[in-house]
Amino acid sequence: MSLNDTLKNLRENGIDEAKRAERLQELNDLRVNLLGKKGPITKALRGMKDVPAEERPEIGTLANNVKNDIQAAIEEKMTELNQKMVAKKLADETIDVTLPATKQAQGTKHILNQTIEDIEQFFIGLGYEVASGYEVEEDHYNFERLNIPKDHPARDMQDTFYLSDELLMRTQTSAQEGRDMEAHDFSKGPLKMISPGVVYRRDDDDATHSHQFHQIEGLVVDKNISMADLKGTLDALCRHVFGADREIRFRPSYFPFTEPSVEVDVSCFNCGGEGCRICKYTGWIEVLGAGLTHPNVLTMSGIDPNEYSAMAFGLGPERFAMLKYGINDIRDFYLNDVRFLEQFKGVN
Amino acid sequence: MKISVNWLKEYITVNHTVEEMANKISLTGIESGPVKLGEELTDLVVGHITSIQPHPDSDHLKVCQVDVGESKDIQIVCGAPNAAVDQYVIVALHGAHLPGGVKIKRGKLRGQESNGMICGLDEVGVPAQYMPKEFENGIYVFDEPQEPGDAIYGLLGLKDQMIDIDITPNRADTLGMRGAAWEIGATYNEKPSFKKPELLADKIKDINDVTVDVAEKKLVPDYLLRELKDVKVGKSPLWMQRRLWNQNIRPVNSIVDAANYAMIEYGQPIQTYDLDKLQSLKLTVKFANDGDKLKLDDGEKSLNHNDLVIVAGDQVLGLAGVQTSIEAAVDENTKNVLVEAGVFDGTSVRKTAQRHDLRGDDSNRFEKGVDEGIVDEALMRAVQLMDQTSDAKEISNDIIGNFTKAQPTIIKGSISHINHLMGLELSTDEIVAILDRLGFDIDVDGDAITVTIPTRRWDMEIEADLVEEVNRIYGYANLPNTLPAGMETRGGYDPKRELANKLRDILLGEGLDEVINFSLLSKQEVEAFNTTNSEYTKLLHPMTEDHEYLRNSLIPGLVRNVAYNQARKNADLKIFEHARIFQRATGQNRPDEITYLSGAISGNVVADSWNMTAQPVDFYYVKGIVEELLSFTNTDAEFTFVATDEYKNMHPGQTAKVLANGQVIGLVGKLHPNYQADHSVSDTFVFELNVDMIFDLNAKNVKAQSAPKYPSISRDLAILVEKNIENGQIVADIFANGGKYLKDVNIFDVYEGKNIKPNHKSLGYHLEFQNPNDTLTDDEVEKAFSLVKDSLAQKFNVEIR
Ligand SMILES: [Zn+2]
Repeated sequence: MSLNDTLKNLRENGIDEAKRAERLQELNDLRVNLLGKKGPITKALRGMKDVPAEERPEIGTLANNVKNDIQAAIEEKMTELNQKMVAKKLADETIDVTLPATKQAQGTKHILNQTIEDIEQFFIGLGYEVASGYEVEEDHYNFERLNIPKDHPARDMQDTFYLSDELLMRTQTSAQEGRDMEAHDFSKGPLKMISPGVVYRRDDDDATHSHQFHQIEGLVVDKNISMADLKGTLDALCRHVFGADREIRFRPSYFPFTEPSVEVDVSCFNCGGEGCRICKYTGWIEVLGAGLTHPNVLTMSGIDPNEYSAMAFGLGPERFAMLKYGINDIRDFYLNDVRFLEQFKGVN
Repeated sequence: MKISVNWLKEYITVNHTVEEMANKISLTGIESGPVKLGEELTDLVVGHITSIQPHPDSDHLKVCQVDVGESKDIQIVCGAPNAAVDQYVIVALHGAHLPGGVKIKRGKLRGQESNGMICGLDEVGVPAQYMPKEFENGIYVFDEPQEPGDAIYGLLGLKDQMIDIDITPNRADTLGMRGAAWEIGATYNEKPSFKKPELLADKIKDINDVTVDVAEKKLVPDYLLRELKDVKVGKSPLWMQRRLWNQNIRPVNSIVDAANYAMIEYGQPIQTYDLDKLQSLKLTVKFANDGDKLKLDDGEKSLNHNDLVIVAGDQVLGLAGVQTSIEAAVDENTKNVLVEAGVFDGTSVRKTAQRHDLRGDDSNRFEKGVDEGIVDEALMRAVQLMDQTSDAKEISNDIIGNFTKAQPTIIKGSISHINHLMGLELSTDEIVAILDRLGFDIDVDGDAITVTIPTRRWDMEIEADLVEEVNRIYGYANLPNTLPAGMETRGGYDPKRELANKLRDILLGEGLDEVINFSLLSKQEVEAFNTTNSEYTKLLHPMTEDHEYLRNSLIPGLVRNVAYNQARKNADLKIFEHARIFQRATGQNRPDEITYLSGAISGNVVADSWNMTAQPVDFYYVKGIVEELLSFTNTDAEFTFVATDEYKNMHPGQTAKVLANGQVIGLVGKLHPNYQADHSVSDTFVFELNVDMIFDLNAKNVKAQSAPKYPSISRDLAILVEKNIENGQIVADIFANGGKYLKDVNIFDVYEGKNIKPNHKSLGYHLEFQNPNDTLTDDEVEKAFSLVKDSLAQKFNVEIR
């Protein structure tokens, strides 16, 4: 066989073997065996000396081509085998993504605190300070300073847990008003504060009553505070909490520490005002009480009611949360069943 | 109080639906709801019983022929014992609808045809307790002949429409028809008109049988009496009776009913006494003697010296403003009547009514106040009605125990200030017009406004009251929405709350759910975790034993939550609470309110699942949470954990105090197994941290450092040491001797048991050395490492392995 034919044979066999290889090792072996220094091509080229000189360049070129072709065939096959291996590995690693996750539970903030903080954030944005005050309060601040002297019938409305003649569990976060007004330096600007916290009443616990519940009191004292300011502020609050389409309305009411006093209704977020079970078919839901601070209250805090006016409002986070999420029993907030608590994950 | 629209129309012209009126009154004055009586009633007519035959097959049934205005009488079988010939009665015809969905059909009663029903008042909607007693056990019989076949609704007020007003305590002026007419009139810009009561001049006589002495003049500013002589007590007219029973007042007789009717008109309670039943003609209004008795229908009340009473000699006629005795009650045989109109101090009345559980229409009015300007007029009106219905021979003038001429209130204000407080710019004319609608007298002088308030609006005192009146009548709906426009203020939380919020976020991130518990605990609960050695603070008048004391720890509440949940198969719990405890030193009155952050973890912290093995909570898990919390407090304090067995309800071997710079700021540990068993909780670990103390620690001053550039060198150390030596001691000693390049010490192995000397444990530590400024050499490290080993061997007798 001529050298030419030998080389062509080697090429044919080499490419054929590469194509038939099933493992990478076979291809590595093939490369070493065919193309290595001890391989048949090298060996065949030793017969070059018998080739006439003028044919040698042609044979040389052929030998290089043979090597390159075999090399290319091996590489092509290697790529193919690699791809197959990766595909198999991926196939082997395939999992059932519908199996349950490994639990990564974050805790859930109590729904009352979520409700309170949502309201706090609203008022912080309007420049209100948050000050929570005392839970054990003096009769003086809880009643007297709010224009509720001893023997005032309003004291009956808020049956009180007393610790002594003078100390009690505060019945309203309004108790903080007197302290805040005393502490405020009006030369530095208006007083704008909200006071969230726990209050206590001598009530039997049932679905709608709790001897402990929360309130958020709001107070703004400045030279130009008006009923319109109160209405605008509470309108914005109710839109924030109950939705942008809500409206509010004021109804006359009575609190000893405000004059005028109003109850504030929000248009029903459930029916939009058409009337439904939640709004007792009125289209409106009572959500808070408010008013302009009674001049007596300002005077007792050393503020001249002819120079300053003030607005105050008080709202119940329990009521807000019960309305917003359809909670029917106030006791649920204090039983802390985690299945109850965790349903409010991320609502605010 | 329910304001009957028909009655109201005697004073003002109103032609709106009751729904529309209730809504408008709610928005401008007083919360109100529409009431429409007897909407369901149909086919009820006057019947005239023309004959009665006994029922052939019944002892008690009667077969009545009744003229119901049709061409022929109809036959109705009736069982009422009081049914009799010639009575005018209520007939429910075939097809009639009665309250409660009852429908009347013709049929046969024991074989006798019956074409309807003869009804009692309660069967057509008058509540049994408010209908005249004589008809309690039978059919209603009209006093006067009526037109057979006429509808009965108007005659008996069965379809009256009313506005039910739910007053706030300051608006008791509307607890009478006249006051309500003023209020509703102002709403609709209609001024009411009233007839002045008058007595027949020839009956007025100078009668002085009775003398009256008011001992407590301050508490009784007004006390007036009149005598009526030789009256004929009978039934009051139907128009009066139906108005009374629709006011939830039972008609009794022509005297008592007139008194009640005048009360509803004026809002002024009126009492009546049978003059001939008085033991003495000398009346006194004074405080009772302890042990005095007030006789009532259903027993008697024992009085004390705080009860204001009206007595005739020693005979207690009544608790002033609260309740009259039955002793001198006017009845059908009464000949001479004493009528009383007084004003009694609200607080005194309230306390007496509460003390004897006798709150009612009268006490409610005195508690909230009455119009002191119309006491004599109301009395005259009552007497006028009595004379009209009971025909007195002689009537006395006012017999005065005390009388205080009520003065109108004068309020001075400024138009601009009133506008300013409303946030409106109403003209003077607009403001004056609104105040005029309310029946106030107004005098304007430039910006100054002087308003004279009649006595019927005793709630009005100051300019702010004018603001309310003007604003509500003008309409709150017409107020613009503005925001306070003062100097800018910076809003936000106080720093302590900021810290607490940050720490709460850490715990939420660690997977703890937030709970909120009651601050009032039982005695057992405050005794269980008195970790701050506080005096217990008890309520003066607790409602239940469960909520008697102010909490001194958040742990009892958390344990209650764990028990509640575990009883409901929520076995794995991670919860925390951020709240106050109340701590009080001996001799201190007012407890300090200290903010705590406390938590409880029970059950598995990793649940058993298809790819994970369950991992129950242990001490180190909870300690890890506490350490992570402390690492976020941004303080330069040194926090340490020191074993403690001093808390009786904590596990003595698995509890540590948490210290900051040597000061106790909290605890972490396992509940005592006995306590767990008593409270039905599984293994539970708790922690508590005093947030106030953490807040008071110095803030850390963070100066940035680059990440280390030079490699570290590590050494492992295995030692055998007596079991009672704590890891903390070993680590502290390693640091003390490891030199300045010792950066970190980590324990990687703790082993005791097999192959270890009894009462010993084997510990493995990984020490990491690093020089931030240069490459460390093995020599330097080896030197430091030897010092560490030597010291351990010397101090703790450890065996280096
Ligand atoms: Zn609705």
